[in-house]
Amino acid sequence: MDPTVLPLAAVSSEAVESAGKAIALGVGAGLGSIGAGIGVGFIFGKEIESVARQPEMKSDLESIRWLGFALTEAVAFYTFIFGLIAFFLA
Amino acid sequence: MSTKAKVLIGFGVYLAVSILLLLIFGNDGKNEAFKPQNEFKLEPWLSIHIAGIDFSINKAVLYLVLASLLTIAVMVWIARRMVDRPNRVQAAVEMAYDLTKNTITGGSLQGELARKWFPFIGALFFWIWFSNMLGFLPLPTNTEHTFSIGGLEIPSFAIYAATANIAIPLVLTLVVWLSYHVEGIRAKGAGAYFKSWLPPGLEEMSPIGKGAIFVIEVISHFVRLISLSVRLFANILAGHLLLLFMGGGLAVLLGIAALGALTFPLAFAFFIFEVGLVATLQAFIFSTLSAIYIGGATSASH
Repeated sequence: MDPTVLPLAAVSSEAVESAGKAIALGVGAGLGSIGAGIGVGFIFGKEIESVARQPEMKSDLESIRWLGFALTEAVAFYTFIFGLIAFFLA
Repeated sequence: MSTKAKVLIGFGVYLAVSILLLLIFGNDGKNEAFKPQNEFKLEPWLSIHIAGIDFSINKAVLYLVLASLLTIAVMVWIARRMVDRPNRVQAAVEMAYDLTKNTITGGSLQGELARKWFPFIGALFFWIWFSNMLGFLPLPTNTEHTFSIGGLEIPSFAIYAATANIAIPLVLTLVVWLSYHVEGIRAKGAGAYFKSWLPPGLEEMSPIGKGAIFVIEVISHFVRLISLSVRLFANILAGHLLLLFMGGGLAVLLGIAALGALTFPLAFAFFIFEVGLVATLQAFIFSTLSAIYIGGATSASH
């Protein structure tokens, strides 16, 4: 083989495509959950802080906590679903 | 023996069994025949095509009908046989009813509006809850693979939920989206309603700046369509996929039998997490956000 040809050119486009799909799923599921993880931790941490300061507010904070948790946690699934779409359907 | 030692021994046995299985069975290589996406494929059971639109009966339709019938049957049954000293089922339904009435609807809507919209929001909560819960009961719906008992072909048991298909959360979202706009226009009049999209405190701003903010607000209203529907759909679909992969799908896909022993206990943990938290939480979130949107469209200040 001609040594001047870049090694990339020898890779078939199919391999590049499947690698791209795997990267899409990995980045979608992996990087996406970082942000949601930080967010969920923040919500529960703040809630513990608030209850420690004002224990009488505990029941009021409960429904807000679950609302915040579900809204934040969903962000991880958005990226996960788009990663799956790229992997299986694209 | 201390608790720490017990936990360590348990974890060691868990790892040792997996490694032992890996040594015995080894790696069979990647399995190309197993397609995990086919678990969610909708096979038409009764093909109906009217004017080029597909109205075929498939398992999503079955789950839709089952969830609706179950919701109606449970609520009518409980309402017919109300007693002063409730048994456990009645107590649970009364608790859920109280949650939908006071926390979900009462938290965002007041007075006449709450009375008017409570049946809709309550029905949303109960229907989504029953649909999500049905999704974790294995039912004989997988007609792609069958097994036979005494010469009778029975479809494989599979889990699927009506809400794990984007179409159904999207229709629910469209109903909510249209009704909160209609309710807002009815409460304030069309001009005042669209003006109320602008946040307060912009009186000094030039018309161009106001226009730019109005465009952002319009986009945010359309994004609600996506976020509300995809949140429910993605949570349920991701839960089912996790159960599929942890409960053996990953081991079959990669051809490593030992991986099954490693992931199977996780499938139990995720199942408890999904049934105990996610199914109820998503029903709660969807109905709470619907109430918040209707309340936001009708309230005086933005």
